[in-house]
Amino acid sequence: MRILATLALLAAFTMPVAAAQAPVPAGDNDQTLRAMHDEMERARTRLSLAGVDKPFYIEYRLLDLDLRSVTASFGALDSSSVSRTRFMSVDVRVGDYHLDSSNFISEDGFQGFLGSTGEVGIDRDYNSLRQDLWLATDQAYKAAVTQMSLKQAFLRSLTKPPEIDDFSQAQPLVKVDPRIEPDWTSRNWDDEARTASAVLKNFPQLYGTRVNYYLVYATSYRMTSEGTTIRESRHLAGVEAALDTEADDGMELHNFYAAYAPLPAGLPDAATVANALTKAGGDLMALRASPLVPDYTGPVLFEAPAAASTLAQVLEPSLSGARPPLSMTQDFDAFIERFGGRSEWTGRVGTRVFPASVSVVDDPTLQEFQGQPLLGGYGVDDEGVKSGRVSIVENGILKDLLMSRRPGPDFSYSNGHARSALLSDPHPLSSNLFFQSTDALKPADLRKRFLDACRADGHEWCLEVKRMDDPALSSVRQEDFSDFVGELGGEIASGARMPLFVSRVYVEDGREEPVRGGVLEGLTLRSLRNILAIGDDSVVYTYMQNPAEGLAGTALGAFGSVQGGIPSTVIAPSLVLDDVEIRGFHGEPRRLPLVQAPPLK
Amino acid sequence: MMKRQTSYRGFLTCVALLGGAWVCFAANGPAPAPASPVLAAMQAELDRSMAALSTADPAAYFISYTVSDRQYAEVSGSNGALLSSAQSRARWLEVQSRVGTYQLDDTHKLGDRPPSWTSPGTTVALDDDIPILRREIWRETDRQYRAASQALIKVKTSEQVQVQTAEGAAPDFSREEPHTSVGSRVEVQVDRKPWEERVRKYTAAFSQSPSVLNSIATFTALAMNQYQVNTEGTKLAFGQVHYRLELYVQTKAPDGMDIDRYTNFDWLDPKDAPDDKTVSDAIQKLIQEAQALDQAPIVEPYAGPALLTGRAAAVFFHEVFGHRAEGFRQKDISEGQTFTSKVGERILPEFISIKDDPTEAAFGGQMLLGYYPFDDEGVPAVNVPLVDHGVLKTFLMSRSPLVNVPHSNGHGRRQLGYVPVARQGNLIVSSSQTMTNDQLRQKLIDLLKQQNLSYGLLIDDIEGGFTFTGRAQPQAFQVTPLVVYKVFADGRPDQIVRGVNIVGTPLVSLTKIVATGDKQEIFNGYCGAESGSVPVSAVAPAILISEMEFAKKETSTDRPPILPPPAHDPEAKGQQP
Repeated sequence: MRILATLALLAAFTMPVAAAQAPVPAGDNDQTLRAMHDEMERARTRLSLAGVDKPFYIEYRLLDLDLRSVTASFGALDSSSVSRTRFMSVDVRVGDYHLDSSNFISEDGFQGFLGSTGEVGIDRDYNSLRQDLWLATDQAYKAAVTQMSLKQAFLRSLTKPPEIDDFSQAQPLVKVDPRIEPDWTSRNWDDEARTASAVLKNFPQLYGTRVNYYLVYATSYRMTSEGTTIRESRHLAGVEAALDTEADDGMELHNFYAAYAPLPAGLPDAATVANALTKAGGDLMALRASPLVPDYTGPVLFEAPAAASTLAQVLEPSLSGARPPLSMTQDFDAFIERFGGRSEWTGRVGTRVFPASVSVVDDPTLQEFQGQPLLGGYGVDDEGVKSGRVSIVENGILKDLLMSRRPGPDFSYSNGHARSALLSDPHPLSSNLFFQSTDALKPADLRKRFLDACRADGHEWCLEVKRMDDPALSSVRQEDFSDFVGELGGEIASGARMPLFVSRVYVEDGREEPVRGGVLEGLTLRSLRNILAIGDDSVVYTYMQNPAEGLAGTALGAFGSVQGGIPSTVIAPSLVLDDVEIRGFHGEPRRLPLVQAPPLK
Repeated sequence: MMKRQTSYRGFLTCVALLGGAWVCFAANGPAPAPASPVLAAMQAELDRSMAALSTADPAAYFISYTVSDRQYAEVSGSNGALLSSAQSRARWLEVQSRVGTYQLDDTHKLGDRPPSWTSPGTTVALDDDIPILRREIWRETDRQYRAASQALIKVKTSEQVQVQTAEGAAPDFSREEPHTSVGSRVEVQVDRKPWEERVRKYTAAFSQSPSVLNSIATFTALAMNQYQVNTEGTKLAFGQVHYRLELYVQTKAPDGMDIDRYTNFDWLDPKDAPDDKTVSDAIQKLIQEAQALDQAPIVEPYAGPALLTGRAAAVFFHEVFGHRAEGFRQKDISEGQTFTSKVGERILPEFISIKDDPTEAAFGGQMLLGYYPFDDEGVPAVNVPLVDHGVLKTFLMSRSPLVNVPHSNGHGRRQLGYVPVARQGNLIVSSSQTMTNDQLRQKLIDLLKQQNLSYGLLIDDIEGGFTFTGRAQPQAFQVTPLVVYKVFADGRPDQIVRGVNIVGTPLVSLTKIVATGDKQEIFNGYCGAESGSVPVSAVAPAILISEMEFAKKETSTDRPPILPPPAHDPEAKGQQP
């Protein structure tokens, strides 16, 4: 078993294919569901320890992954691999829907989580899977019994135990899709990665680059003792590129490019990626040559892609209506707090949260927006609940929240928004999130409104954010993202946001001048009340939510990659916010390399 | 549970279970090798970097580049099904950029503080594209030089305030002669399909037994080509291949104790792969041992004579003696330094001699996993006589010298991603006073009678344990015997027992060896310590120890599964396919 560390690194998925409510078709010798069924029946009817509860809920999840990954740098191949793996996860609960063995973090952490999760055989056979499920179910049951007694003891120590149920009832679902065999051969991915990345050799001032193609086909299985039986095929393809350099004063700078498609065939061809990388390289060189941004407070225009990325970071932590798990330790709370995972909206349903023109909707059922694919969609969520549209904010008033089967103070039932990658714990997360206004301005009018505000504040120039950074994508070395989380993760909770491309816009004639090195400060939900103007130019911003425990559902959860991320979109227009603070660069500049970079050609 | 292979952990544990690695082949291949683009890129950047950094502030006095080109295939099966089948290739670059002087540089250890750590490497291009490789090497050199410069400032600051220990006066780095050896590239050609069938079949055979909870069979093939250049003039290219099959089975005794049995086969040439009959016999033996252990009684704590078979003795020497002969431990003030001041003194009975000889690829026709032509610091492997007729002669050395041992003897080793330290290669124990197995057993029984004991213990297989070498812990060691028999003084048949660890103090137990067997046996495995997991061998004859201490082993409190195995469930026969 390569356990969770590996799980968290692998794969992702999107877009279930059309539902076919049929048993496994003839000629399909996949024995997975049959093995699950038979072992589930045995456990359901016979698993018990003397003197303690029998299981009231058993759940089997299994993920079958086919991966193709290719990484290239400056036209040379760094790695190229194909793999096939299967992982299972077994959840057994004792108690009842009101009070069960879940939702509780004891001093020993998540009990039974590791023991009942593991890598299993890839033959889709009957015998080996039953053996694995048998042991995992046994472990999970014993862990649940232990967890339940710890939880009950903890509850007795509280003056007022929580009244909210642990688990909500949901309609069982039967859905068995045809399996899809992966096809890697339609294109030569090694060559495409080489060709696309080779154009970056035209930028000798780049230090390092990474271009990664990542293709995944996943078959996910779910069976519960409530009667749910699901086999779904999902697939996702992505190309992600990072490039970095240093300015002449030693400031480290980077840029990234990402494109995603439901299937490998939908990815842009090598020439298209090469063109995009040429632009990314050119943009980074321009940034390198630009002056430093000074400290600034005033109106800021967020172009639509920057607005969408900012909304993903700012809104996500407050969209979930599930209550956090009971915790015996302060660590978990502190962790969530630190990364900005605390919801500001639970308990505030019915109150005004935005200007009256604004509505926010999350809709996993949509496939496209104005001809552009929406990759955040799905038919059934990761708890086996049918997906549905949720109207979160209407006319500025908070109406609803995203729910999994973990009830919260405001809502008791799932609305099909439990999402996870691999077999991680599902969290209520957004899918395709629409931020709309009934009072939207044409781009020219929006810009005029922005410059008028600047003038009124007495500024000679104001700042415009064209794109936000995603450090998960723009780090050439994977460790750099971990460093980022370690060093700056905490500031994210207090509203620090990282822009990538920022320009000064002069009030006098509207001319733009790129600047570098700023960080947006204190940009939280509260700042969104100061929306001065909203555009009518909505774009689809596709990103991968980070499923890592502790990051999922926090502001940092907006930074993920195709390797394990949860495909999501935000559809948002340009925004003008008032009173935004930008902190310029105040650190000590680094010394430049003492050895000149060798030529790239 | 399940597919966990690496469940045995602990510092300095010799684990025979970890994934594949390499051994042997072609250091100085007779055929002239074609010019390697990798070496060319490395040399070009080395020259350029040294020219600039040796005159910078702080000045680099030594730079080395190592590129490890790793081609790896793995086919694994469990409980009758295929678990994974994949192959991969990757190149890993390690850069050392030392600033300061050989005497005092950025790697100098400060008190008991852990050294400032920079991950010592990065992946680089698989394509032989010289400009791209040079760009990647340049970047990593800059990263390491910056880190080294920072570290040197700390060293110099703390140097002024800290007291020098005697061994701390040894230089930080040794000067070594340059070596040039450019051999041919090695490769493994693997058809995974037949192995996929074999691992299914092997693990299905385990599943025939209802007591088997989990079984794993893993085949690995590895070709490791290593390239190295440094500013002293060393230039190396050499490759090693290694094939391995591992079998692992897990059961649980009725009281909840986990029982693991494991065996492995190693070979260098595809034609030497074990045949099905050989593997099948090994599987049956593992099942029988596991079943016997399931039912075996738990032995009570015991002190008395013990007989270790050759393989068990080999692990024992590796753990108890070998780790303490590693040079860097003599230097580190947080280490116990058991042997630091004992060079020239008797530490073992006079009839025992020990060497560590990584230059040997085989012993008595069997391959040795600890063979290598050059160590991971580019120093040629050297046969090191450690103990001569009971007297300690020297230590295993990397390029971190001791006051009295100023040079490396080719034992600086590491797993990719770690910094090399002195490690064992092939630890070979020999004896000038041997007896046959029957004589050894008789001698054991004689000892039992002398000591008025009804039984002694026979250790047939040892898992490796953990050795406390740090000063803060007691100077004790613990090794876990996997297969232990009671040998009765009254001549009853031996009885298999379980649940014991060997405990004690090293100096004492080494001096209590009273007799040795006449046949040396080999243990091939992976040893995990400060510089990661490295392939090692240990060779030793059976040994009889007049007094050894055994304690009860910690045991899992997990009860055995509640339901019977699905394939052996009397109540559910109807469900079987």
